This record gives sequence, structure tokens and C-alpha cells, in this order.
Amino acid sequence: MSLLNHGGHRTSILASDIEDVPALGERLARFPWGLLFLILMVTGIGLGVLYSAVGGGENVSLLLRQLGRFGGALTLMLMLAFVGDYRLFRRYAYVIYGITLLLLILVLIKGSVGMGARRWLDLGLFRFQPSEVMKVALVLALGRYFHDRAISKGVHWRDIWTPAAMILVPLGLIVQQPDLGTAVMVSVVGCVVVFAAGLSWKGVFAGLATLGLSLPMAWNFMHDYQQQRVRTLFFPEEDPLGAGYHIIQSKIAVGSGGVMGKGFMAGSQSHLDFLPERHTDFIFSVLAEEWGFFGALFVLLLYMLIILRGLMISASARDRFGLLVGVGLTALFGIQMVINIGMVLGLLPVVGIPLPLVSYGGSSLLTVMIAMGLLAHISIHSRHAGHSV
Amino acid sequence: MLEDDLERFRSGARRRLLVLGGLNGVLFVLLGGRLFHLQVMKGGAYRVLAENNRISLQPVSAPRGLILDRFGKILVENSPDYRLAAIPELTGGMRGFLDRVAPILSMSEEDLETVLRQAKRQRSFLPVKVRARLSWEELSRIEAEIYNLPGGMIQVQSIRHYPYDKLAAHVLGYLGEVSESDIRDFHDTRFRSGDLVGKTGTERVYESELRGREGVREVEVNALGRQVRELKLTPAVPGQDLYLTLDTTLQQESEAALAGHSGSVVVMDPRTGEVLVMANQPAYDPNQFIRGFSSKQWKALVSDEDRPLTNKAIQGQYPPGSTFKMAVILAALKENRLTPEDRFTCPGYLDRQDHRFYCWKHRGHGALNLEQAIAQSCDVFFYKIAEKIGIDPIERMARNLGLGSLSGIRLNGEQAGLIPSRAWKRKVHKTIWYPGETLITAIGQGYVLSTPLQLANMTAAIANGGTLYRPALVRPNSGFKPEVLRHSRLNEEHLALIKKGMEKVYYAHSGTARRARPDFIRAAGKTGTAQVVRHRRQKDGELLQVTERRFMDHALFVCYAPADKPEIVISVVIEHGGHGGATAAPIAKQIMDRYFDRKRKS
Repeated sequence: MSLLNHGGHRTSILASDIEDVPALGERLARFPWGLLFLILMVTGIGLGVLYSAVGGGENVSLLLRQLGRFGGALTLMLMLAFVGDYRLFRRYAYVIYGITLLLLILVLIKGSVGMGARRWLDLGLFRFQPSEVMKVALVLALGRYFHDRAISKGVHWRDIWTPAAMILVPLGLIVQQPDLGTAVMVSVVGCVVVFAAGLSWKGVFAGLATLGLSLPMAWNFMHDYQQQRVRTLFFPEEDPLGAGYHIIQSKIAVGSGGVMGKGFMAGSQSHLDFLPERHTDFIFSVLAEEWGFFGALFVLLLYMLIILRGLMISASARDRFGLLVGVGLTALFGIQMVINIGMVLGLLPVVGIPLPLVSYGGSSLLTVMIAMGLLAHISIHSRHAGHSV
Repeated sequence: MLEDDLERFRSGARRRLLVLGGLNGVLFVLLGGRLFHLQVMKGGAYRVLAENNRISLQPVSAPRGLILDRFGKILVENSPDYRLAAIPELTGGMRGFLDRVAPILSMSEEDLETVLRQAKRQRSFLPVKVRARLSWEELSRIEAEIYNLPGGMIQVQSIRHYPYDKLAAHVLGYLGEVSESDIRDFHDTRFRSGDLVGKTGTERVYESELRGREGVREVEVNALGRQVRELKLTPAVPGQDLYLTLDTTLQQESEAALAGHSGSVVVMDPRTGEVLVMANQPAYDPNQFIRGFSSKQWKALVSDEDRPLTNKAIQGQYPPGSTFKMAVILAALKENRLTPEDRFTCPGYLDRQDHRFYCWKHRGHGALNLEQAIAQSCDVFFYKIAEKIGIDPIERMARNLGLGSLSGIRLNGEQAGLIPSRAWKRKVHKTIWYPGETLITAIGQGYVLSTPLQLANMTAAIANGGTLYRPALVRPNSGFKPEVLRHSRLNEEHLALIKKGMEKVYYAHSGTARRARPDFIRAAGKTGTAQVVRHRRQKDGELLQVTERRFMDHALFVCYAPADKPEIVISVVIEHGGHGGATAAPIAKQIMDRYFDRKRKS
């Protein structure tokens, strides 16, 4: 207790810090195989849907490219899971966060513009989206902050300002790009970590109230096209060929799939050129059209199991940092999935967030697999792993 | 103590994780419920919507710009192509459908297989092309039978048509399916696979102007694939029409005059650099590229020794022979090493070191001044003055007249020809320049190469008093502005001497083109004969008998008319045509006669 009184940073010298890394055999045993199995299943189904979405045949090279990306991301996940020491992530959390913040500033100055937004940094060999990295970096930094605070009686009002700033500064930068989808994700993930860290219920309600009040303000800050998307969410029929087009067509695709679906490669909606983003953001509507209610529900179930598994790993983490990072990363995965599917089903506005593990593309896949790798790492180093309680 | 703190935190956090897990469950129920609502409860309604209400985006093709001649005659147009297509899922069996149409369209089993394979590759509600280019008879028989052919439909597409067939084929060019390299070359244009794009000629160079921009029609189609209504139309932007500088009639006449030979004719306006005629023989029919070649036809076209696919006017590189002599005289006059009074004696040869350089007339020309030397094309005269001035001034003057570099005409694949120099010899052959090489350069042999267009442009510069224009093929709507490549700053007195010599080519007793004088005006020209085989003459001076065509000399001729106020220049190159005066000059005469006859009458 005396250490606690001396202030936050000192408490980082906890017993759990000094633990040795478990032996390889033990690490293999502690690896969350179930989680990996779920990931492989979702990805496998995803590639099948992708095959259909791109029309098979000549476009099979797209599929191979995506498979290659997944292979790379999977390797990275396994490396993150097995290699390295838990403490390193904690030690460098602020450094990673700081560098990412600088990159976010850099992208506003020097980034390349795509689809009317400035999101990419061109590094010669590849293009890179700092806002993707920020999702993970923020979780690490918040985990480190609350780990150091060691708040056992809940988070008080005065403790909220630093984490709030940690969330709001990158949020502001991302909104500038503008990348509304990522902005929403970053803020929700940040809030979930703060909540898990023990924000008092009073604080939770106060936060929700603030959110409710700030929505009209956010509305004013939105670009016209974003306002349009929110408006058409509620009245898609107003503009059937403009902003409402995606939602209407996506709903028709999903609905017409019915209970049993139209079968592989047989979705008529998906294969008339009505959805420009059917292999990226709207791939779930292809899945729902071709595999029907049971197929879509099955995939939804797989996602929910991944999230539950993530929460379980977090619950058994060896220390505060592990627990909070685990929760944050799980939330990252879950929020992304919920926003994407909610959008495809016409429950949420079209914000352009890909479906984790399934949508075509490399950036988001990499982030998701990094998150999964860190989760597996936390699982391997959980408190049962050679750590006496 | 610390463990206590962690444990307390953990138990608190666990409750919160439970809340999050619960939230996860709520979201699952919410999304699952939405799925149930859309797919199970309203699935039927949406299914109807999907079937009755397929919205599809159909491209509206932009008509490609026409290509017209200087008087507005259409050289390239678009014509409708009627084709039979079928939607496999409506035919009740594609095989049966094909068996019914095969006799009408006389399609082979192989053709049918191709269609079936295509049908298998794509979705069954999208139309498959069965046969393109239906004749009127086939079209009417299909129309009459269409009620027996469910799923069948006649589609109309616009295809390129070249009404004059082979006329100016090399200038116009042809279209072909877009390839990887085309996509790179026209990176601003968005192609879809199978699009047609200009491959050569003006069709290629002016692709972006001719192409226009595709429009989009958003339509609702019903389950039968039939259009229910049009929702939105973004109209296509048609391509721009292109007016060429060509004179179709003169082009026809030139091609006719050239018929039976392998060679090229270029007619230009020396006052502006406009190309009135660019004719090549043999030629090809660009329509054939649309109809498609049989492999035998294609092989014949590609392996033909006379290269029908080559635009010889800009790609054929020939030794200019004696047409080069104007450049040598101008160089010598400019160096002040030659006066109009100077006379040289030609005994029929010139001995230098251990080599004897022959004149084409090995009996000899006797004593000649420069005008006579041009008129009779005496080689020894030119050996002697070349020897006096050396290669450098000759090279400078040749370049001054546009030889040895691209003319800059807006066509792909132009060749630069070659004007040799000491530096070039050192760089390419790694040896010094030998004096004997200066002598053969002076008669347009040896290393010198030029294209028919370069020879025409050189003649134009002489005819118009020294201005070298960039040869133009297009007259923009905004008005034609001649583009000057360089003012050659030729001395007017020197030019007058040359011109007089060139007139004598026609009008002197022994002028080399005296048998090809034009009918209606006075002209000036220069013959040329380019050796194909170097050592045709044996040491003792006897001529080898050359009978095989491919060893025969190229015949060349350049001229302008009228001599006093030039308005056209002509350059003619006949591959293996023999003597310029005998083969090439008469072709130029025919062209001039037609041109000035028409002018006289109008």
C-alpha cells in the first residue's frame, strides 16, 4: 500500500514483472488454439465469399493476393504471440503511441489523397495508414496508463483527463483526414478500456450523457457526404440512386437470400454490378444473399465466439496491463465487425469500415491480426502460466 | 499487498468484462434479429424485389469521331453492326437454341463450341454473343424466327468502317482490342476489357480526341432481363471529328499511279508543310482488322516481302541516290568552293588511290557546269566537288534540309534516316572517316539513308526558299497554323542556281527526266537511282547482269511544280524500280497532270 501512495509510475514494479517467460512447450500449451481455429474458419469462409464476390474465373488473382496477405498477417500474429516478452509492450507503449501520433500529424501534412481523404503515407515500397496503427497504439497506451495508476477503487473524475486527452488528440487528427469510421472505432475502443479500468458507474452515465449532448455538435463538424450518409440511413428511399443506393441494394441482397440462400456464385444481386464495394465493405451482403439466414447467422456466431474468447483471455491476464489491452483489442475487433454488419443490414450509417478477416484488403487485416497476436501473447503469459497467485 | 490490489482490481474488472460479454450477447441478438427480420420475415418480399427490380448500370458507348479529308470527305466512319446474342437461362437450353440458329447463320460445330464455352464462363442471365456481323439476309431470317428463339435478341453495335478500303490505310491506321501496353500508353483513359483502341496511324495518335467519353444508363430490369424503366442517364460524349490535310482524290490518283509497284509517294504543299498525299503500295484493308483475319491471310500479310503493313513514307529508309546532290551543291556554294562558271570534265570515272569511282554513264559526260551536272546527274562532277569540300559541310547542309532527323509528323514509328559524319563513324564503326566515303556520300550512297517524307520535305524547303516546315496531317478546327521547324537561311542566289538545274532535269536535251515532262505546267525535279547491291560493277567496269528483282536498284524522284510558283512537291520511291528517270518520274508526272488538270478546269 505504501508504494501506491507514492504515485503511479512506481507501481510498475510489480511481482508479475519479474516473472520469467514460460518455456516453449508451455507457451505452445497456453496458445489459444481455439481462437486460431475460429480465425481460420472465418477467413476460410471469407475467401469463399470473396471468390464469389469477384466473380470467380479470371479474377482469381485477387483471391490469391488476399490469401498471400492473410499468410503474411498470420505469420506476424504467431510471431507476436510467441516471440518477445510481455514487458516490452508495456515498456514501449507510450513510445509506440507517441510515434504513431507523429505519423498522424505527418499524414495530414504529407499524406496521399485517396477518395477525397488524406489517409495514406507513401513509404515507397508500400502505403501505410497511421490511423490503423493508432487503434492498437491507443489500447497499449491506455493499458499502460491505468496499469501505472493501479486504481483499485475505480476511476475518479480527476483521473479521467489524461486518458481523455490520449483518446481525443488522435481522434481529432483522424477526423481531420477525414476518416469517420476509424474515428468512431478509436473513440469507442478508448471508452471500453476506460470502462474496463473501472470508471465509476456515475462516470459511465455522465459520459453517455456528454456523448448525447455532443452529437449535434459532431453533426456540424461532419462533411456533407457524411451528413448525407446519416440522413439516408433513416430515409434511404429518398435518394435511390445516390447515397441511398448502397443501403437499399444491400438490404435487397440480404433479404432476398432468405432462409437458405441462393447458393454459391448464384446471388443475382451480388453479380449485377450494383454494389461497387461488394468485395470490400459490402461483402457480408454477398454472404447473406448466397448462404441465407443460417449461413449469415453461423458467421455471426463465429465472430461472437472470437469476442467471447478474447474477453476470457483478458479476464485471465496476468496483470492490469494485460487485462486492459486484451479488452481493448477484443473491443477493436468486435466494434469493427458490429459497425460493418450493422451498416450492411441498414442499422448503421455507411462509414466505410471493412469486415474483419473477410473484406478484401490488407491494411485492416494486418491490424486485426496484430490484435489477435497480442491477445494470444497475453493468453500465453496469463496468470496460470507459471505464475503463482 | 500488491497482489491484493491486483486481485481487487481483477474482481472489479471481471464484473465489467461480464457486462461487456453481456453487451456482446445483446449485439448478437440485435444483429441476428435483424438478419431474421430481413431474411426470414421479409425474405419473400425482398426476393421479389431482387427478381423484379434488378438495377443495372449499362454503358452507353460514345460514337468515335469521324476522320475526314481536307474537303470534308469521310475517310473513316461508324456503321451499325447487327449481332445475335442470347441470354442462356431464357433459352431453355443453350445447345438447342444454337442448333436452331446454326443452319440460318451457317455456323460450324467449332463456332457453336466457342459460344457454349463463353456461355459457361459467365452468369446465365447475361447475354452471350452468338454471332456478330449479320448480313441483311441473315438478320431478316433471324427476325422472322425470333419468336421461336426465346432468349435471343438482336443487338446493334457501332463499328469502324473505312469506305475507301485500302485508301491511305497507313495514315488512317486501324483499331484493335486494348492491350496492356495500350493501357499504359493512355493512362488517362478508362478502358474496359475488349474495348477497341487505335493501334497505328491517326487512329492511334489522335485516340484521345477521337475516343469521346462513355456514358452510363442506370436501368431497372425485370427477371427476364428486360428493361423496366430507365432511372438515370449520363449521356456519352462523342469523340471529336478529325480533319486531315489529305486530298482524297489526289491520294486515289497517287495510289493508282503507284499500283503494281512496291513503294511510296508523298505530296506536300511547300507553302505550309501540309501533306496532301501519303501513299504506300502494297497496302492493306483496315476493314479486315474488324472482320478478322484467317491465319492464312494474316501470315500472307506479315510475310510479304513488300511489307504491306509498313508505312514506307515514314518508315522506309532508302539511300537517296542522286536526289541528295542538291544538298552537296548547296554545301559547296556556301563554302565558296564552287561558282556557276566552274566546269569539270567527266571521263566516266575517277581514279583515287587504288579505287576507280564510276559515273553512272561510263562513257563520260565531258565538261559540265553545275546546272548541267544536276540535269544529267553526273557523278564525277560530285565526286570532285565533294573531294574539295570534305564530308563536314555536306553533313551540315543535309541536316539543314531536314535529313537525318525525324520530321516530327504526328504518326507513330517514324524513322530518322541517317546522315553520316566523322563523329558517327567513330562512335558506331570505331574507325576514322575515309576520303573515299565522302565521294560515295556525295552521290547519296554509302551510309546515307532517308525516308520519302524527308525527301519531300527537303524539296519543299528548296522550293519555298529555305523554310523547313513540320509536315502536317491534321487541320484543326481552330484553324491551321503551319509550324516551322527551321529557317534554313539558304542564299537566294544559290537556290536559284539549284532550281535552274532542277528545271533542266526536265527541259534540257539530256535531262534525266526529259521523257516525263508534265503536261500543263513547268516543273523542276531530280532523279535518283539507289544501288541496292554495293559492288555491282566488276573491276574491269563491265556491268553484272542483274535480273533478280531484289537486287535491282531503287528508283527515286523528287519534284515541285509550278517551277516559278511552287504549290506542290512530290517525292516518289519505287523499291527495285530501276532508274529514277524511267520509273519514278512518270509516276510524279501522272500525279501532277491530274492535279493541274483539275485545277485548270475548276
